[in-house]
Amino acid sequence: MSLSTMLASMGEGMLRTCLIFFLTLLFSLPLGMVIMFMRRSRILLIRGIAHILIAVLRGTPLMLQLLMWYFGPFYLFGWSIRGYRFTAIILGFSINYAAYFAEIYRGGFESISKGQYEAAEILGYSRVQTFFKIILPQVIKTILPSVTNEIITLVKDTSLAFTLAYNEMFSLAKQIAASQTSFMPFIIAGVFYFVANYAVAFGMERVEKALDYYH
Amino acid sequence: MKKKLALMLTAVLAVSALAGCGGGSSASQDTGAAEETAEAEETEEAEEPAEDAGVTYQFLDETLGVESYAIGFRLGDEELAQTVSGAVQALVLNGTYDAIGEKYPDIKDYLCLSADGIDEASLPAEGSGDSSFTFKHGFDLDYPPYSYLQDDGSVGGFDVELAQAVCEYMGWGYEAVPFNWDAKDMELNAGSCDCIWSGFTKEGREDAYTWGITYSNNTQGILVASDSGIQSLDDLAGKIVGVQTATSAYDMLEDSQADLAATFAELKVYETYTIAYNDLKAGAIDAIAIDMTAGSFLIAGDN
Amino acid sequence: MILQMNGIQKSFGGLEVLKDISLHVDAGEVVSIIGPSGSGKSTLLRCATFLEKVDAGEITYMDTTAVRTGGDGHAVYLPHKELNSVKRYFGLVFQQFNLFPHYSVLKNVMDAPVHVQKRNKEEVREEAMAILKKMDLDTRADAYPCQLSGGQQQRVAIARALALKPAILFFDEPTSALDPELTGEVLKVIRQLAEEKMTMVVVTHEMPFARAVSNRVLFMDKGVVVEQGHPEDVFGDPQQERTRQFLRNYQR
Repeated sequence: MSLSTMLASMGEGMLRTCLIFFLTLLFSLPLGMVIMFMRRSRILLIRGIAHILIAVLRGTPLMLQLLMWYFGPFYLFGWSIRGYRFTAIILGFSINYAAYFAEIYRGGFESISKGQYEAAEILGYSRVQTFFKIILPQVIKTILPSVTNEIITLVKDTSLAFTLAYNEMFSLAKQIAASQTSFMPFIIAGVFYFVANYAVAFGMERVEKALDYYH
Repeated sequence: MKKKLALMLTAVLAVSALAGCGGGSSASQDTGAAEETAEAEETEEAEEPAEDAGVTYQFLDETLGVESYAIGFRLGDEELAQTVSGAVQALVLNGTYDAIGEKYPDIKDYLCLSADGIDEASLPAEGSGDSSFTFKHGFDLDYPPYSYLQDDGSVGGFDVELAQAVCEYMGWGYEAVPFNWDAKDMELNAGSCDCIWSGFTKEGREDAYTWGITYSNNTQGILVASDSGIQSLDDLAGKIVGVQTATSAYDMLEDSQADLAATFAELKVYETYTIAYNDLKAGAIDAIAIDMTAGSFLIAGDN
Repeated sequence: MILQMNGIQKSFGGLEVLKDISLHVDAGEVVSIIGPSGSGKSTLLRCATFLEKVDAGEITYMDTTAVRTGGDGHAVYLPHKELNSVKRYFGLVFQQFNLFPHYSVLKNVMDAPVHVQKRNKEEVREEAMAILKKMDLDTRADAYPCQLSGGQQQRVAIARALALKPAILFFDEPTSALDPELTGEVLKVIRQLAEEKMTMVVVTHEMPFARAVSNRVLFMDKGVVVEQGHPEDVFGDPQQERTRQFLRNYQR
């Protein structure tokens, strides 16, 4: 099998990997904010639920969670899961990553001094203005490095989608490597992950630089 | 808020439920002990209100084909291949081969060597090997009942016991080199093992290795639910068929049975058969292509 | 009259920090509050600016009573919206400046007038530059707080408070976080404001400053006002033993 044939057969897998990656980010970044607010809620019950949720999501392997999201509806309620595979994968990834993002956000918010809130209050800013104009921009700057780490982990974690027989790029690499007794697919996979992560790191570094005008 | 709450409670419940059955399936892979599988499946049964108790799982009478399990050596390693093959034949003559086979009822029927036609004179004599030589046996750390790594770190399986018996017969040292199946060629080429001997299919790889003796023939079959209405390979047209990656069944569907695979609605490739089997039971796929040994092992608990 | 506080009581978990405190400030007055740490001076300012809620007492700005003691003896605040309209009467300068680090000097000063008071941006810019010039900071308008010295940051904070045109400005130990050589430039600005008849209440440890600038000095200890009066009287001829003791310790 020639290199171009290999690349062609892995190409579709790369698209699938990218699809998981982008959809997961799309859902988990805002969802993490929701979980973070629950975690910081004044109502004990909501806080408790968020606490347990985060503990379970971070305390169990993502692979197990994917199995649960996919097979759960069938084993618990007897629902048909035909055609539900991809939804389960995006659910599992998004909710798992949201838990990690929630904790990163929380750390970011806790690092903002009380004085910032008080100054905003004295100057007459509304709660919404205080959040979006004063607090959030500072939080974003603080959490950026941790978010970058998490996103890079996500790029590599996409290979876990194969657990639910979703043929993303790395599973195709393994299949081709096995059938062709060749190491080349792994090299291609490695280059793909590296390039993807380099792009993520490069982009995030640009954002960090852009926010570097103050500390 | 109520909706969110319900969703989360479901999540917590489901996690705990699956933690239970997930553990069961991995236990069956790790140890290969039939009783444990049965036990795990029983617990699962209790948690499956939806499953029709009357459904059983069976192989179609038609098969995909037969494959030979042989010992793969590095290309050009003829001498070692011949010596090991000779030693295996000697073990057939002295009864060790059958005795080990008795311990593995799932594969006993596929063992294809018999004393007929073996020329004792051409075999290496017992203890004739170089005692300073250590035979490095490379195998899949998770391929019961041929080879596996147990939780306590010890290795077992038919191929492992047979290889150990060969070393004992020759007077060699034995070193187990368990690896991840995806890495087998890298391990062999890097010299960390002398052979791949782990339910290793010869068909389609004839030119990639120097082959030792074929000691087992395994048949690739199609596993379906009894109420599926699928009777023959032709009935698979338009159906979703599952297969595990990097297995002989997968290779066959890509190669000699590619025309059959083209009639499927989809060939779903899994990382492990355990998940494929769960999908079959959940009705998400219609059939599984699998070697009959491993397949019998999967359905042993349910039927 | 700008501010009238009567019978203010405040406890933190059983510890009485303010015991029946009253404070009256007229237009153009500069009132200094002195006293040992833990005497409740800062808490009094935080209560006056609604950062802390009083347990009981009355707070009136201009002609609006924002807090009154209800029938059960507990303080009753005006509803949120009306309380907000009272907040525009005062400004507060913090010990730790609390500038917004992600905004330039000019944006720190301009942002609230533009986005809270919804005033015309160009008009606000001109005013902000004028205030910064008065603070001798007009050349640093595009700098960020982290690029400024502590003294400069505190002057920006004062400019930020002034830009909202408050009727009264509170200072909570404005020089305590500064290196000694930087306190002068901040005190100079406050003195300048006093000359312009800006109504101010200053909690401070700078005794010579309090003596020179204020119209009235309050000495607080253990949650009560021990003595108050003209600075020359309080500093020159204190009537209470506790005041004398405090000032003696301070001079040593």
